[in-house]
Amino acid sequence: MRDVSFGQYYPSNSFVHKCDPRTKLLFLIVYIVAVFLAKNFYALGACALVFVAIACFSGVPFKSLLRSVKGILFLLLFTAVLNLFFHSGETVLWSWKFITITKEAVYFTIFLAIRLFLLVLGSAVLTLTTTPVALTDGIESLLKPLKYIRFPVHELALIMSIALRFIPILTDETGRIINAQKARGADFETGGLIKRVKAVVPILIPLLISAFRRADELGDAMDARCYSGSKTRTKYKKLRFGWRDLLAALLLAALLAGVILLRIFTAAVI
Amino acid sequence: MKPVFETGGKANDRRMEAIKFEKVHFSYRNGEEGSENEDVFGFDSAFALDGIDFSVQEGEFVAVLGHNGSGKSTLARLTNGLLSPKDGKITVLGMDAGAEENLFEIRKNVGIVFQNPDNQTVASIVEDDVAFGPENIGVDREEIGKRIDFALNAVGMREYRHATTTRLSGGQKQRIAIAGVLALKPRVMILDESTAMLDPRGRKEVMDVVLKLNKEENMTVLLITHFPEEALLADRAVVMNRGRIVMEGKPQDVLTREEELEKCSLTLPRPIAVCKALKVRGLEIKPSFDAETVAENIAEALKKAGAGTRSNEKMPVAKISKNETDDDGKIVAKDLSYTYNERSPFATHALKSVDLTIKTGEFFGIIGHTGSGKSTFVQHLNALIKLPTAEKKYKPKKRKKNEPAKPETILRVGGYDLGDKTTDFRALRKDVGMVFQYPEYQLFAETVFEDVAFGLKNFRSEMTEAEIASAVREAIETVGLDFEQVKNASPFELSGGQRRRVAIAGVIVTKPKILVLDEPAAGLDPLGKRDVMRLLHKLHADWCKTVIVVSHDMDEIAENCTGAAVFFDGKILACGTPKSLFSDRTIADSAGLDIPFTAKLVEKLKACGIEIDCDLTTADFLEKTAEGGRSDA
Repeated sequence: MRDVSFGQYYPSNSFVHKCDPRTKLLFLIVYIVAVFLAKNFYALGACALVFVAIACFSGVPFKSLLRSVKGILFLLLFTAVLNLFFHSGETVLWSWKFITITKEAVYFTIFLAIRLFLLVLGSAVLTLTTTPVALTDGIESLLKPLKYIRFPVHELALIMSIALRFIPILTDETGRIINAQKARGADFETGGLIKRVKAVVPILIPLLISAFRRADELGDAMDARCYSGSKTRTKYKKLRFGWRDLLAALLLAALLAGVILLRIFTAAVI
Repeated sequence: MKPVFETGGKANDRRMEAIKFEKVHFSYRNGEEGSENEDVFGFDSAFALDGIDFSVQEGEFVAVLGHNGSGKSTLARLTNGLLSPKDGKITVLGMDAGAEENLFEIRKNVGIVFQNPDNQTVASIVEDDVAFGPENIGVDREEIGKRIDFALNAVGMREYRHATTTRLSGGQKQRIAIAGVLALKPRVMILDESTAMLDPRGRKEVMDVVLKLNKEENMTVLLITHFPEEALLADRAVVMNRGRIVMEGKPQDVLTREEELEKCSLTLPRPIAVCKALKVRGLEIKPSFDAETVAENIAEALKKAGAGTRSNEKMPVAKISKNETDDDGKIVAKDLSYTYNERSPFATHALKSVDLTIKTGEFFGIIGHTGSGKSTFVQHLNALIKLPTAEKKYKPKKRKKNEPAKPETILRVGGYDLGDKTTDFRALRKDVGMVFQYPEYQLFAETVFEDVAFGLKNFRSEMTEAEIASAVREAIETVGLDFEQVKNASPFELSGGQRRRVAIAGVIVTKPKILVLDEPAAGLDPLGKRDVMRLLHKLHADWCKTVIVVSHDMDEIAENCTGAAVFFDGKILACGTPKSLFSDRTIADSAGLDIPFTAKLVEKLKACGIEIDCDLTTADFLEKTAEGGRSDA
């Protein structure tokens, strides 16, 4: 368990991996906006093109990317079927009793499916190419302006990074406690709902106690290392924008401009 | 930013005092400081300092010894202002530690490394964690980079700069914790039982770093420890008992004063104990701390004095061997393999075709380094890891015509076939008790009684309340606790050693035929360790048939086990009696393990021309050595 880094980070040294996490976060946000602004297949095609380019530069095998879509496959099918039957349109392709399928509905369904695919795949690229730690740093840096309205940015970032750090430790610990209680005959697999909820108590209580103990010790260790909040604190790791980030920004600007132009000058599917 | 120092004493050549305690009193009870340590989560809490006068010179290396709860850790916490004294004065590098305004400067100069490596690391990446301290005191970026270089170099972890902290070994993690403290450029370093949770290899790594810092960087070191071997490395040793300093002096001197140590619930280091015991048997041996000198002294004494007298003194532990032929305590493993994360890039082969037979009635040791496959093997024994053929979904594969038959994996534990999915695994778990590492962390119930009864209620639902009560009473009394006193107490109110006993009682309450324990004595003080081993002998004698102990401590194995298996890299390197495993170093060396102290003595004596044919327990070694003297004469 300990040997697997959690999350879905795919270690590599690609162009996208080396980009600043802030760039990637901003890129994702603008990309999502662009996908939503796209109202016909041309614009969506432009988004898809950008996605394919990014995916190629990310060094992540296409299979890993597709795995992220698996989770939403059911949602996708469900909405597709609903839209197919209930989206109104003029050109009737097929009809049986009260069910009619129109040409517009087919287009619309395909359009929605592609849009959803692009959204999920885009976010997957971010999580596959950015370590949770870098992501936290990026979020902290992007939220910095909020400091001026007294939003505790530094504390939030510290909480996030400590949480990340303790996930593998607590996962391990949970495994150990489960094993220990199993060895004492605890049964987590059979029985009704109430019995199963009750069975969790011997896991939860030791885990909570251990978490409190760890928190207490960590607090002492932080105190001993002179932690006193964000006042006089410096930061060792500074995020730096580089030429890669500039390239990414240019690509992004082109995409956004393209999608907006297409929105003005071409007909819409929706 | 340099603090102002008082020059200590009249003479100019005397070194400055780094730490000075004057009549310091401290109590966790009825005070606001203690309110956070209300004992709900089982911290050491009720202990106090009772008028401590104590000082450490700059550049000195002082070891603080004492049983659990003697006030050692309180001493450490007071020194860098995590606690403040009730009464008396603490001066650290010329600054008053009681004054709030000095705290920051003191913490910058006094680094403290705690016991649990996992609970003092803040960041997921090594360099980020080391940077945490300097960031806090506002060091600028470039300088932080330099300090990370310096700190990681000092602990020998430079190549791990970008590593993930969770993937390091215990010793490496603790070295990172030291680096994190070093990056603040402190002048005093306190190690609060920092080696207690490590295996021998990790302990050595950490101690090497500490010694180097003391010698080369002139770092003042305050080492709080249970291990007399570590205290021997110090310039001065201080022994604490019930909040007072009761002994002080050169460690080589302090650690030979048996009666006084015993009063403080401490034990003699093994070499000294052997010398003393031989003296009782009529062989006058000059006490010494290393095996070589002890062996030379024994050889000399044997040649000179000749005769030793037989002593009637009984050594505390003796071997118990049962000759039982029945199967219910027997373990047979054949061609057992296991891979974690199979079919992923992270696949690790934890067990590689292991063959092992443990007979009924053995007190069996399983030894090897962390990651050698010991724990994985042990988890197979009560089907916490099931064989693939025992899974519900398993269907026997049809063999292709020309394919050779695969060697069959066999795992039989106490009469159960673990390769068969129709085996009653609940019954198996009842008969094979498993005590994990630090078992006290698995206690959960409101009372000790409820917690001990947990297993019983799970396994034997047909028992009546009265039957359960009597079984629980028997188990609690067997582990050496007073039933009436503890039954209604919360497990979290008890001391560390008592909690471990309760946890063991919770496993043995179902009367398992085979009892497996993973590092049962880890993290306890010397007396606690001795008590746990005695308890295991008692259980072996009249409670369980077979006892299996996973251990890092070779002395523990030689002293207690009838047989042992050495794991290395997922395979069994050797298996046999402690004598056959350790009579020469080939096996131990190839597994990267140390050999027991008695084995070292036997080896050295052999080099001096004296053959001692003993089973490597201290008792037998003493007996044979005394006899050897007689036959020589």
